[in-house]
Amino acid sequence: MATIKKSGSFVAFHWDGAIADPHAQPFADAMAARRFRTIENAASEEVSIGWVTPADPTGDSFALEDLEGGAGTWLRFRMDKKTMPKKWLQIHRDAAEKARGKKLSARERRELKDDLMEKMLPRVLPSITLVDALLFHDKRTVLLFATSKAAREAFGKLFLESFGTPLERSNPLQAGLRAGLDDETRYALEHCEPVRWPNAQRGEAGVEDRRRTLVDRRAGDDQEATMEELA
Amino acid sequence: MSQGPDGADTHGFLGEEFLTWLWFRWEADGGEFTLPGGRVVGVALDDFLSFAAPSDDETEQTLRRGLPTRTAEARTALRQGRRLRKARLLVAEGSRQWTAVLDAPTLTLGSVKLPDDSEECESDLDRTTERSANWFALHEIVQALYGRFLRERLRSDYKQTAGTEQARWMAT
Repeated sequence: MATIKKSGSFVAFHWDGAIADPHAQPFADAMAARRFRTIENAASEEVSIGWVTPADPTGDSFALEDLEGGAGTWLRFRMDKKTMPKKWLQIHRDAAEKARGKKLSARERRELKDDLMEKMLPRVLPSITLVDALLFHDKRTVLLFATSKAAREAFGKLFLESFGTPLERSNPLQAGLRAGLDDETRYALEHCEPVRWPNAQRGEAGVEDRRRTLVDRRAGDDQEATMEELA
Repeated sequence: MSQGPDGADTHGFLGEEFLTWLWFRWEADGGEFTLPGGRVVGVALDDFLSFAAPSDDETEQTLRRGLPTRTAEARTALRQGRRLRKARLLVAEGSRQWTAVLDAPTLTLGSVKLPDDSEECESDLDRTTERSANWFALHEIVQALYGRFLRERLRSDYKQTAGTEQARWMAT
């Protein structure tokens, strides 16, 4: 068995509602239904995204014990992408233009590209990306060990298709709404504005004294404008 | 994923205020926090700070290596009222210690280093189990600290109390 990483970056997501118990077969079945399918022999430029397990990167098996991640459930998905190298296209285009003695039209360029892709893509191997995530079922939280937009979007789509519930990315608003605040504080959070901290350099020397004087003068009074006034 | 306004866009500033508040609490109170459930954690800022640009036209300022919180540049940025956008944090709970770069507007944790595997870990499964717990513990600690910050920040008398204290600290 492999070991989950001990360094890296993650993005937290949450979900509402219920998903299958990760220790029960329906969970593994849901992953298997959206398993990774190879594009090794594909003749067109494409992307394949699907679940695999840490023990089997092919997507052929989904044993529950392969998802064992201690307090969490260890998910892994695979993204394969087959693309024509851009420099390769450019070299062929330059060669065609040199042979012809003039630039290719847009239509000719497109035809050249289609022709090259048809010939070459079956020989191009896809790039492979494996992305891990830890799912904490009781907490309705999943930590995705990738921060790129492509990985986040692919994971969100895969999760929705597999478990039927959308993921909400954690951010300062969402994290606040899940922090167990009372109604009044939640309202304050939703309508919160940035604090305009004082710009102490504007006042040159004695700024701090000026601040303290103001703060002291206002002690016990409504100080709503204190910091703005100092800014 | 759900669509609609992204909380990082509308409330990213709160993440920056949170990170700046951690710095303030570290310097003012030693950075020790007692969180719900009685867990005691320590937080300090390490060798990387990045201040948010006050506006789109202005410069973001990054300080690396050594003790950037002690530099004149960092104090000047605070006096100008600038908030932290990113910083490397040291987080400790008992014998466990994490380092991570917090991207404040999104609350994303990057470049995380987990505590060393304990000597009791004998198998891959043991290591995965312990690391999994450590990943989640770091997430929980940061969420709990953020919740604590919000309870202080969103009080109706914040500007007259803790906000004033922080303003004084920023000006020193």
